[in-house]
Amino acid sequence: MIKVENLQKKFGENEVLRSISTEINKGEVVAVIGPSGSGKSTLLRCMNQLEELTSGTIWIDNQQLNHSKTNVMELRQKIGMVFQHFHLFPHKTVLENLIYAPMKVKGITKKEAESKAHQLLEQVGLSMKVNEYPKRLSGGQKQRVAIARALAMEPEYMLFDEPTSALDPEMVKEVLDVMKQLGKTGMTMVIVTHEMAFAREAADRVLFLDGGKLVEENSPSEFFNEPKTDRAKAFLEKVL
Amino acid sequence: MNLDFTQFVPNIPYILEGILVTLKFVSVSAILGFVLGTILALFKIGRVKILSWIADAYTSVFRGTPLILQLLLFYHATPQLTGYDISAFEAGVLSFGLNSAAYISEIIRAGIRAVDTGQNEAAAALGIPYRPMMKDIILPQAMKNILPALMNEFITLTKESAIVSVIGVFDIMRRSQIVAAEKFKYFEPLLIAGVIYYLLVMILTLVGKMVERRMSRSD
Ligand SMILES: Nc1ncnc2c1ncn2[C@@H]1O[C@H](COP(=O)(O)OP(=O)(O)OP(=O)(O)O)[C@@H](O)[C@H]1O
Ligand SMILES: [Mg+2]
Repeated sequence: MIKVENLQKKFGENEVLRSISTEINKGEVVAVIGPSGSGKSTLLRCMNQLEELTSGTIWIDNQQLNHSKTNVMELRQKIGMVFQHFHLFPHKTVLENLIYAPMKVKGITKKEAESKAHQLLEQVGLSMKVNEYPKRLSGGQKQRVAIARALAMEPEYMLFDEPTSALDPEMVKEVLDVMKQLGKTGMTMVIVTHEMAFAREAADRVLFLDGGKLVEENSPSEFFNEPKTDRAKAFLEKVL
Repeated sequence: MNLDFTQFVPNIPYILEGILVTLKFVSVSAILGFVLGTILALFKIGRVKILSWIADAYTSVFRGTPLILQLLLFYHATPQLTGYDISAFEAGVLSFGLNSAAYISEIIRAGIRAVDTGQNEAAAALGIPYRPMMKDIILPQAMKNILPALMNEFITLTKESAIVSVIGVFDIMRRSQIVAAEKFKYFEPLLIAGVIYYLLVMILTLVGKMVERRMSRSD
């Protein structure tokens, strides 16, 4: 479970997140939606300490993430992250991208890491690209490799920050399909997305952020059909 | 004009032996410069304020004073200050290595800066600690970008190494000067030395191109 309590984040004087509290339960798929600049990425990045909280607390299972005694590096192994711009390691092949962290961080053998990597590449439909360098992959393929790379650490949670926003339209589906599949396996996922159809279909819950506040928390069907708040209504009118 | 290269033929092997001296000198200095330069670059981008301050001050001093002055200081001041009777070769390697470390650290720093911060974040998100992240993720990418600048620095080092002849290292330059002094003829031996330096630089350039091509496999 990821538990966020009174999370506040400031960049200098700019208060980007204002007292956010929510819980993400094991096995849930949560979509984070909101206008540009509302703080979605920042919220996600706080969940694995890529951003330091200004105040408040985040708990991962029973460990407080932002505590001086917590080993953040170790805790991060539980939390996979997928970025809008993939951030694959360009000097490593697809296979090397997948096995590096498990070997280095978890200390598993090369053989184990490779067999896991092959299995994951099959899962994301990229077995034939195993020895390719990232430069030679399409955007959709890169993102699927990035998902596989995160999964190679066998995380319990997966964070996605607009995983399809940098993709050409024809490649969006292949990535979303992989994510849907992952959701069905019971992976706990938090997904910042502008893909409303995907959120409606694949998410168990929607968090709507506006101006750094968690304005609405709702089931997808209710959120998209009859949102509780005027701000969500106004937002949906614009994007749908 | 009376050019006569034939009378220098017997001296050519003597001058050529200088190539080994020069190469040894340059490679030891380059390794020292590269290792120390990398460490200084890591200090500069690191979070420890005092270390980055030291690295910046170091760079400023070594870039802000003449190389020949550094060379003479190491050669003459070391015995005076420490009592250690430093050899010309050691003094040369020390001053050239320390000097090029200053330049190389700037090159590497810029190279590290140029690596997308997303790479740091991706590594952090995977739980990869700082050291392996630097060594295996960031530095290899930085090195690839800075290879041309680094090669340039090594070429400069090779050419500038001729300065060590002033403290008596028997490199290409000094040997050609000795031959010249023996025969009271300067043009031919200096020209021979010039050709040798030029060929060395060309070879280094070629090697650099080859390494670059090898490293761009991932493109
Ligand atoms: N590193 C940073 N330094 C300063 N300000 C930042 C930083 N990162 C984000 N911000 C600011 O925080 C606010 C929220 O940014 P954030 O990226 O979380 O929004 P977002 O909801 O993800 O937007 P988008 O949909 O455009 O990705 C913005 O005003 C942004 O300018
Ligand atoms: Mg964002």
